[in-house]
Amino acid sequence: MSLKYLPVDVEKEIYEVEISFKDLSITRKEIEHDIGYSGISAPEHFSGIIDAVLSRAADKCGIRAGYRIIDIQKKEDANHGLLLDGVFFSPDKIIYPQIKKAERAAMFAVTIGREMELWSGELFRRGEILMGYMADAAASSIVENITDLLHDHIRSRMLESEMKITNRYSPGYCNWNVSEQHLLFSLLPKNFCGISLTESSLMLPVKSVSGIIGIGKNVRYSKYNCNRCAVKDCTYRTRRRPGEKAVVLK
Amino acid sequence: MNDASEKIGVCIERGKVNKSSPYPGDMAGQDGADELTVSALEWGVTPDKILSACNIGMQRIGEKFGRNEVFVPELLMSAKAMNAVMTHLKPFFQSGNVKAKGKFVIGTVAGDLHDIGKNLVAMVVEGNGWEVIDLGVDVKPSKFISAVKENSGCIVGLSALLTTTMVNMAKTVSEIKAVYPGTKIIVGGAPLTYDKAVKMGADGYSPDPQGTVEFLNKNLL
Ligand code: B1M
Repeated sequence: MSLKYLPVDVEKEIYEVEISFKDLSITRKEIEHDIGYSGISAPEHFSGIIDAVLSRAADKCGIRAGYRIIDIQKKEDANHGLLLDGVFFSPDKIIYPQIKKAERAAMFAVTIGREMELWSGELFRRGEILMGYMADAAASSIVENITDLLHDHIRSRMLESEMKITNRYSPGYCNWNVSEQHLLFSLLPKNFCGISLTESSLMLPVKSVSGIIGIGKNVRYSKYNCNRCAVKDCTYRTRRRPGEKAVVLK
Repeated sequence: MNDASEKIGVCIERGKVNKSSPYPGDMAGQDGADELTVSALEWGVTPDKILSACNIGMQRIGEKFGRNEVFVPELLMSAKAMNAVMTHLKPFFQSGNVKAKGKFVIGTVAGDLHDIGKNLVAMVVEGNGWEVIDLGVDVKPSKFISAVKENSGCIVGLSALLTTTMVNMAKTVSEIKAVYPGTKIIVGGAPLTYDKAVKMGADGYSPDPQGTVEFLNKNLL
């Protein structure tokens, strides 16, 4: 699918991508899978509630997604570091080898805004706890789905200039310290895509994702190397789409 | 009589709230926790007996959750069924005829806004017979300390979802312990591990709500 993208700052190569709810491929099955029902079916009652949530989600998602493409100025094998526009990142030893062959990087951020979050909170307060939980879970799955689309968009754009891309990596995953969110956002315009960062590195709205994607002639998209990481219940260890092994992009 | 309270326990375990609730499918049309509690009280079953049957039901669902046999939605349905029972038992608590096992003060630490995991723990703990004082999210150490002062003998639960806010969790533990060294504190949330909990000076760690209940029950005064 080809998504429309608009420059935010041409010189700095900052773009926002137009993604609407109907571009998403989010399904009830995917949400069920994300909340635990993988390989087993969820009780019918729960599926019905997810359907009800999804039928209202389109109106409640204020989708925004964008990225900045930056040259990687320097790579430091010894301390697994990357220098991007004067900002030094330490993504640690799981991510660094995946990015080190890249010449450039896309720093991205994605959000669905606050409405789903507020709706979920309201449902909890009204005692509709199951629906409140499903709204929260759906919001999480939706934002991941949007991130998949953005990832795909960046891949297609880079292919036009015969560049390949890596997996996406987020601060807070694979031993990359979540506090480097501050470094990542320092490379993006203030309030990029409507996202702000708290002192404790929490993005607001809560249903947001950020990260880095390596770009280069010699990089590759690889299977997740989860056996190198100690986090047993990480999203990428547990989160696989129904029937999916590992996505292999070109 | 026994049968009546046992049935309520089953409703709690299975998340059968009331007769009109379609969940669980195989119990559709049957009386739920709501109707069965009303009848049991009419028949003279003591609130204590009802409560202990509920605790067994909550414990069973909590254990299934801990073994990944059920997930958050099932746990929530049990909490809802428990709520239905508590509506009818409230007067007995107010009159002092029934007593909670103890007080549990819970909150998500400063700088962190995550509340679903913390809410789940609170619901399950309450369902197991504890009085829960939920301080909400982004709770500063001073607020926890005031709550400990107001609820003497309470146990404190701290939740966090990010490694950055775990730093605030450690700070909260040490500040509470500095003022109330005898207060037991349990911590939990996605980035926590047993080792990290020990390192920050907490008395307990649990990856899930049921483990929290077990910790609380072990620390009954
Ligand atoms: C008092 O005693 C106790 C005892 C038990 C206690 C307790 C207290 N408190 C909780 N418990 C326990 O009982 C509850 C019931 O079982 C549980 O509560 P939870 O709150 O954990 O569980 C909820 C009911 C359901 N669980 C959840 O909703 C979280 C699930 C996981 C997969 C997750 C999700 C879904 C999401 N995330 Co993200 N996410 C992860 C999570 C990994 C995981 N497996 O937990 C976690 C929390 N995320 C993480 C990260 C890093 C991030 N996430 C992000 C984004 C997202 C989504 C938007 C995609 C989505 C929603 C997030 C949200 N907050 O709503 C980003 C941050 C978002 C932000 N706003 O800043 C981002 C920073 C990534 C990025 N750079 O974009 C990690 C945090 C660790 C860290 N390094 O700080 C993480 C642990 C994943 C990992 N690395 O494995 C237990 O923890």
